[in-house]
Amino acid sequence: MSNLNISTISKTFGSQQVLNNISLDIADRSFVALLGPSGCGKSTLLRLIAGLEHPNGGQIHLDGQDITRLPPERRDIALMFQSYALMPHMTVFENVRFPLRMKDSAPKSEQAEHVRNALAQVQLDSFADRYPRQLSGGQQQRVALARAIVAEPKVLLLDEPLSNLDARLREDMQVELKRLHRKLDLTTVFVTHDQTEALALADQVVLMNKGIIEQIDTPERMYARPRTVFAAKFIGAANVIEIELRDIAGERCGVLNDGTVLDPSPDVELPAGRYKFMLRQEAIIFNPKGKNTVRLEGTIETQNFLGSVTRSIIRIGNQKISAVTPAKNTPVDGSQVTFGWNLPDFLPLQD
Amino acid sequence: MKQASSRLGEPAALITPGLIFLVLAFFFPALNMLSLSVIGPAADGGGFTLEHYAKFFTDDYYAGVALRTFRLSIIITVTCVLIGFPLALIMSRSPGWVRSVLIMLVILPLMTSVVIRTFGWLVILGPGGLISWVLETAGLVGNQISLMHTESGIVIAMVQVLLPFQVLTVLGSLNRVGPELEEASRVMGAGFFQTIRLVSLPLSIPGIVSGSLLVFALSISSFITPSLVGGVRLPVMAGSIYQQVTGSFDWGFAAALSVLLLGATLVLVIPYLFVSRSGRR
Amino acid sequence: MVGGVPYGVKLLSVVLVAAIAIFMLVPLMVVIGSSVSASEFLVFPPRGLSLRWYGEVLQSDAYLSAAKTSVQLALVTVVVSVAIGTSAAIALTMFRFPGGSFLSALFLSPLILPSLIFAIGLLMVFSAYADGPSFTGLVVGHVVITLPYVIRTVSAALADMDPHLDEASRMMGASWWQRYLLVILPQCRTGMAAGAFFVFNISFDDAVVALFMRAPDVETLPMRIYSSLEFSPDPSVAAVSTIMIGITIVLVLVLNRVFGLARIM
Repeated sequence: MSNLNISTISKTFGSQQVLNNISLDIADRSFVALLGPSGCGKSTLLRLIAGLEHPNGGQIHLDGQDITRLPPERRDIALMFQSYALMPHMTVFENVRFPLRMKDSAPKSEQAEHVRNALAQVQLDSFADRYPRQLSGGQQQRVALARAIVAEPKVLLLDEPLSNLDARLREDMQVELKRLHRKLDLTTVFVTHDQTEALALADQVVLMNKGIIEQIDTPERMYARPRTVFAAKFIGAANVIEIELRDIAGERCGVLNDGTVLDPSPDVELPAGRYKFMLRQEAIIFNPKGKNTVRLEGTIETQNFLGSVTRSIIRIGNQKISAVTPAKNTPVDGSQVTFGWNLPDFLPLQD
Repeated sequence: MKQASSRLGEPAALITPGLIFLVLAFFFPALNMLSLSVIGPAADGGGFTLEHYAKFFTDDYYAGVALRTFRLSIIITVTCVLIGFPLALIMSRSPGWVRSVLIMLVILPLMTSVVIRTFGWLVILGPGGLISWVLETAGLVGNQISLMHTESGIVIAMVQVLLPFQVLTVLGSLNRVGPELEEASRVMGAGFFQTIRLVSLPLSIPGIVSGSLLVFALSISSFITPSLVGGVRLPVMAGSIYQQVTGSFDWGFAAALSVLLLGATLVLVIPYLFVSRSGRR
Repeated sequence: MVGGVPYGVKLLSVVLVAAIAIFMLVPLMVVIGSSVSASEFLVFPPRGLSLRWYGEVLQSDAYLSAAKTSVQLALVTVVVSVAIGTSAAIALTMFRFPGGSFLSALFLSPLILPSLIFAIGLLMVFSAYADGPSFTGLVVGHVVITLPYVIRTVSAALADMDPHLDEASRMMGASWWQRYLLVILPQCRTGMAAGAFFVFNISFDDAVVALFMRAPDVETLPMRIYSSLEFSPDPSVAAVSTIMIGITIVLVLVLNRVFGLARIM
């Protein structure tokens, strides 16, 4: 059982506050993504968990034990570096044996057995005698992965695990990491700036921005119900539309900037005022029907054909709305269109 | 990426032996020399005095020595700049193997003892030496000639000794720029010489400046080559200091001369550090 | 810009390079040439061919003991300089600490401050606080002038290293001595070796520090050569110089083959 509890962690570098009072519980066997733009503090948080940095305030507990001040070599946590950090002067076998050599006094033959098992997990059994420079980037990464899991750590940390791979290898590796996580049942935390990576791999996404946590949710909920403007824009592509809620003839209505009144009005209970709402690109429907559907008139200003779908920029008044719709059912560029969305797809956001 | 500042003990332990060594063997001797230069002879009680400096500034002989050192260093530096830039340019834009050969050509003499290189020049410049023999054989001169004990001889030998420093520094700044900008200039319609004037030369200015400051600093403090080629008739600063230390045993005066030389060097070295750092970006 | 160079300029470049090549190499050629002369006097071109001066050198106690001193001095300097320099280079490249860039400049400063001035200062200190110049004094002097080279070569080797290797080894449970023995020092190996070659060469060739720190019972090869040049050189000086040139050529070739001269200069 390895529960990782992070409570009220702060970290400053010089005068710069990198992490501001962060608290986070990571459940046993979960696969957690720390997601955010560069400079949001996600890498620092990972290095704090690893023990490579120490926080200015707050505690980190692993299985109930306070590890805040423990040096990295005594934490039972493994980290796979973004650059892999393979020892260039050691063979694949020696690299993977390194943690065993440092930690336990098990006989060499037993260690060799563990190394072979770990290499088998990543399908590199036949490469044991090569040097890292003789391997491709993808193979090097799998060596780094084998080295991280060989000593059966309580927590596995991955720093930008897919960023050095080309697009095709990246997809393979996503499948591989997911499979390995299921098989080893190992609490895994990884850092990424790529939202598709976070959504594809994690079962918990921790979205960070400017040293604080914006939102913690499952990938599905994070995508469907982002709480803030930042979350909506960072995860997936979303239209953020500003409207005013005000009472017209005794009824609460949503009004666009150019005065167009949305009908039916947004299904929210909020006091009058200006709000930002999220509308996913793929939530737009051309020629909508049905009674719970908003209907508007606009002009398609530009269009990009993307294969299975087409992206259209629709202008309505001074507002531009981006829509991604199946290529077959999309009106041609430049045409006047009727479009809209289902009422539940229009979500209010916090700033 | 360097490691966090939270672990200070380890770098401190690593750097301490070197630092102690440097302080005891490098900075302490410099300070010791500074103090010797303002202390009078022990016979007079060894109090504070400026007489060593006064001797330098009032004696015409030493003014002449300083002037010769300065003049020769200027000539040597200018010659190194004029030869060094085209050579470095040719090196940096040559195909791989030519460049390797040329780098060897510059580094091999650099790595050979200055004493041996100067020895070679003695044989070349001296009476009955190579130059004399070539000119005599060609019928250009009737008698044996000698460039020994002449300022021209010193300059020729010193340029050979110091040219590698100039070439390697300029080469460094040219390599950082790469040939793309020159190619771009040609594509945009500039001619060959226009490109050198408008692109290559301005970009290697930091290298030329720091290289020539280095050459000048090494030149004013050079002692083996000027002493052997110039002999006692053409003393330079460094040779005079050696003479004071090993011949006259006037260490206070030697210290004062050294401090003056060090001062002149520092005036050059500080801009050198500044230029070479900004050139590295 | 290899393409598009006017024909005349190419021709001029070749002539210029050839002229500079001759200028740079001719002093060494002349020394080598004089060493095989049969004549009693130093002349160039040599009159008659003979290896007799090499025989004289190999039978001369003065040259042999100077050679022994030079080799001993160079080897001790290599050990001390590489040990101190590697340790400082690791601190300066792998760690960030206050005053780091100032210390880097400090450690490289013997490279640009004239060794003459430093040699006098050292002589004065050894005369005032020790029993005058000695073998130890020469080692100290040579370590100071060679330290920057070790720091440069080791720093260059460490700059090529994945900066996370050390952290990775800590994550995997390495203690401090395991980190140095198994991870950091193996990464410094090429830099230490290149530094050692430089240090040996500089110490073996140095005459400036050696002449000032001249102790009665310590004479190195460059000191011996300098003395004979001041008085009456005969071709045996050329022979011993040629042997030293040969050693330098070997060192430069090894350096170039193993590390690439263009990279470390």
